[in-house]
Amino acid sequence: MSSRADAARVATPSMKLLPDKLTRMMFGLAVLIFLVTPLVLDDDFWMTVLANAGAFAVASIGLSILTGFTGQVSLGHAALLTIGGYTVGYFGADHGWPMWAWMLAAILIGALVGVAIGPFALRLKGNYLVVVTLALVFITGYVVENWTSVTGGFDGKSVNSASLAIGPVDFGELHIFGRDFSREQGIFYLCWIMVALTALVGRNIIRTRPGRAMRAVRDRDVAAEVIGVSNARYKIAAFAISSAMAGLGGALYAISLRFISPSNPAAELFLSIRFVAIIIVGGLGTIYGAVIGALLLGPLPELVQEFAGLFDFTIPIVDRPLVGDSPADNGIFSAASFSEILFGVLLVVFLIFAPEGIAGMIRRLRRRLAGRSNVDPDNVSDN
Amino acid sequence: MEKFFQLFVAAIALGGIYALIALGFVVVYKATGTFNFAQGGFVLLGAYLVYQFGDDWSLPFFVALILAMVVMAGVAAGIERVVIRPMINGPPFTIVLITLGVLLIIEQAVRTLWSEPAYVLTTPWGNGVTEVAGVSIRHVDMWTVGFATLVLGGFFAIFRFTTIGIAMRATAFDQEAAAAQGIKVGRSFSISWAIAGAVAVVAGAMLTSRTGSVLTPGLSFIALRAFPAMIIGGLDSPGGAVAGGVVIGVVEVMALGYLDFDWIGSGFEVVLAYVLMIIVLLWRPNGLFGTRAVQRV
Amino acid sequence: MAERSLLSVSATTLEFGGVSALLDVDFEVESGELLAVIGPNGAGKTSLFNCLNGVYTPRHGSILFEGIELVGKRPARIANLGIARTFQNLALFANLDVIDNLMLGRHHLMKTGLAAGAIWVGRAKREEIANRLICKDIAEFLDLDQFGSTPVGLLPYGIQKRIELGRAMAMEPTLLLLDEPVAGMNLEERNTMTALIQQVRAERDMAILLVEHDVDFVMAIADRVLVLNFGRVIATGTPDVVTVHPEVVAAYLGAG
Ligand SMILES: Nc1ncnc2c1ncn2[C@@H]1O[C@H](COP(=O)(O)OP(=O)(O)O)[C@@H](O)[C@H]1O
Ligand SMILES: [Mg+2]
Repeated sequence: MSSRADAARVATPSMKLLPDKLTRMMFGLAVLIFLVTPLVLDDDFWMTVLANAGAFAVASIGLSILTGFTGQVSLGHAALLTIGGYTVGYFGADHGWPMWAWMLAAILIGALVGVAIGPFALRLKGNYLVVVTLALVFITGYVVENWTSVTGGFDGKSVNSASLAIGPVDFGELHIFGRDFSREQGIFYLCWIMVALTALVGRNIIRTRPGRAMRAVRDRDVAAEVIGVSNARYKIAAFAISSAMAGLGGALYAISLRFISPSNPAAELFLSIRFVAIIIVGGLGTIYGAVIGALLLGPLPELVQEFAGLFDFTIPIVDRPLVGDSPADNGIFSAASFSEILFGVLLVVFLIFAPEGIAGMIRRLRRRLAGRSNVDPDNVSDN
Repeated sequence: MEKFFQLFVAAIALGGIYALIALGFVVVYKATGTFNFAQGGFVLLGAYLVYQFGDDWSLPFFVALILAMVVMAGVAAGIERVVIRPMINGPPFTIVLITLGVLLIIEQAVRTLWSEPAYVLTTPWGNGVTEVAGVSIRHVDMWTVGFATLVLGGFFAIFRFTTIGIAMRATAFDQEAAAAQGIKVGRSFSISWAIAGAVAVVAGAMLTSRTGSVLTPGLSFIALRAFPAMIIGGLDSPGGAVAGGVVIGVVEVMALGYLDFDWIGSGFEVVLAYVLMIIVLLWRPNGLFGTRAVQRV
Repeated sequence: MAERSLLSVSATTLEFGGVSALLDVDFEVESGELLAVIGPNGAGKTSLFNCLNGVYTPRHGSILFEGIELVGKRPARIANLGIARTFQNLALFANLDVIDNLMLGRHHLMKTGLAAGAIWVGRAKREEIANRLICKDIAEFLDLDQFGSTPVGLLPYGIQKRIELGRAMAMEPTLLLLDEPVAGMNLEERNTMTALIQQVRAERDMAILLVEHDVDFVMAIADRVLVLNFGRVIATGTPDVVTVHPEVVAAYLGAG
């Protein structure tokens, strides 16, 4: 029998890259939107917002592999983005490394830090591990502030001069078919190409032996060990992958922001919580959930700031606007507070009322629609 | 030598603050098995409530303190009832994540409700200092140590001798078995969260009234520094939380007192606690006094 | 020297807080043999399995499998050596489908690592398909191929018990440990399972160590029987010998 026929015989949704026709169609549509958006939305602000969302999506896919597929919670994700950011600052901007090299450096350094968390993942269960990942935030902050020769200390550093070229293509100044693209548009394309590659890598790992092992460790660690899946190896692997993706996401984020500087540990913790919110709202246990989450929640602070005007209606009794876009407005919430609160509220509300996130809602909707035709193409809670 | 004693007193006082923060955390963990990140937020909100009642509404300090404790007990129990209780049987890390969400909300709510950047809390002990054998001891530090001792003693008495305390221990150990024994699991949850809220007020007040401290929303960040204390002690051990707090306090103050700034750099005291925690965990994965979980198949 | 046994357990003692769950346990299992372990609840049967698996570490004693010491080895390592197991209380990966659960049994027989997996085309894909074919055969053999991509946690208890057997078979072990494979089943499910176990034995060359309460079931399929009581071995022998052993009658059969 040919291997193609074999493949057809054994393929289940959990083995396919895109499990079914509808998913493939949605994916095609997403690619089309990706290609067209910069053409119709020629606006630096919006391009940057969407590029940032792409950088967040790359990092969120990593966290989704760690939390959604391996069952390990991390509060250190923001620290890894920071590390990725300084990696591009140091190697890309200061030392002029080509793009492929600083990307690889961000990925590898991220992975190394992830591996360093590994030994704790083995010895510690649940809550203890969460606090160790929190330690990463504090330690990274300390190193960033004090290792001034590399990080620039409190002053931070510009990453603007890092190369964005690979071969003949320079994302810093794209020309395609005689059309010139702005730097913001180029970075948008770059970020979302990396989202696609990261998602591909993530999905491939999940659908093969290592990813299956991670899901086994998540669902039943002792049983997994007894059938030959080393908990140690796959927890470390998950931390390494997740951190590598966070490193890459952080490098892209820094490129998009053009500048990187230290933020205090509380802010870093809140950023980590935002990543948790992203993957919960998007839906654990799917890669595309992480992307949807990042796309919806990643730009929330900018959106709130931009659209603060929509929320500046006056609340009767206190006689103040709900959200003020500047302190002078005397709003009940500042724009920054309002978006943080939204993150918190979304996280709590989804955990309680829709723990499967948006991906879960889509799944349920499809099941309901499919139920009528009596076929069940997607009765898969986990693939 | 005098410097050492001076530092030692400061270290114990700082340890007392960490211990107070950690104790509120441990009571919830011990009674319900919940790892409550929102405790840092309770400390923050608690301190602002004391300011609101005492300085803003001009109530006597201790009246303000007790009023704030009552309010925070209610707030904490309410939060437990509304967002934690429904998820008790949910997937493993759901509750931890919910408490993170609550932390985020409380922190921003405080920024919103008290928009001024910083307040000073007026307390009976103020900036008072007493000299003992050449070492000056601040009154706030004495109060801190006193409160920490009181709270620890209270916990000990509650867990050991009262039916509520025994019920809480049973609930943490095995909810279903406890329920089968006729223990009102829900009540144990409410009470432990209420206690955590009340203790957080004391911790917040002491933290803010330390010499040189002011009341800002960044306070919950200092509360994050108490995490290593309770981890070092062992999550389910009130005595361990105090021991861990003192260890961290001593190491932090001594490091700042004796080590050269050029060498240690800025923010060293913050990472130090976490590094210490990591070392302890590699050596004893359940902390110094925590109990080991057994797994069964 | 006499021919070596497949598994030889000697002087193995396991304690929980000073209480002995196993006390000086000695026995051997020969290749291809079906040895049944019986004994009242709490006798230490599951604990014995946990020692063989490396989930528990005996306080002292030695467990040799094909001449290799198992005491002190991690469970995953022991699985690689060729020991598979089903659990008294189901331990399937509830969110995964039947094939993925079986595929996890083949984990130690496969090689794909992170790098190959991430690339997919080439080795990972070939290995995935080849092993899925094997798992599909096992699923057909156990009549499990009808459940498609349904997460196994949603399937009935009796089916889940069968998937556990399939997962263990997928491991291609030389020693299979079955902890109460028919417990909690109705008569029909029980008969199916008995037939399946016997068929597995007939087709594959493996020794089986089986825990079961149902004496008739045990007597029907076991080559030899080992009786545990309060962590001690009180009798071993062929079913007909053990059934009339006075201590066994007193401790277990009489009461049951
Ligand atoms: N992890 C554990 N901790 C404490 N005691 C245990 C543990 N596992 C088993 N035991 C005890 O060991 C004894 C034997 O249990 P087990 O092996 O499950 O018996 P069986 O499978 O024969 O019913 C029982 O008294 C049980 O309570
Ligand atoms: Mg048993």
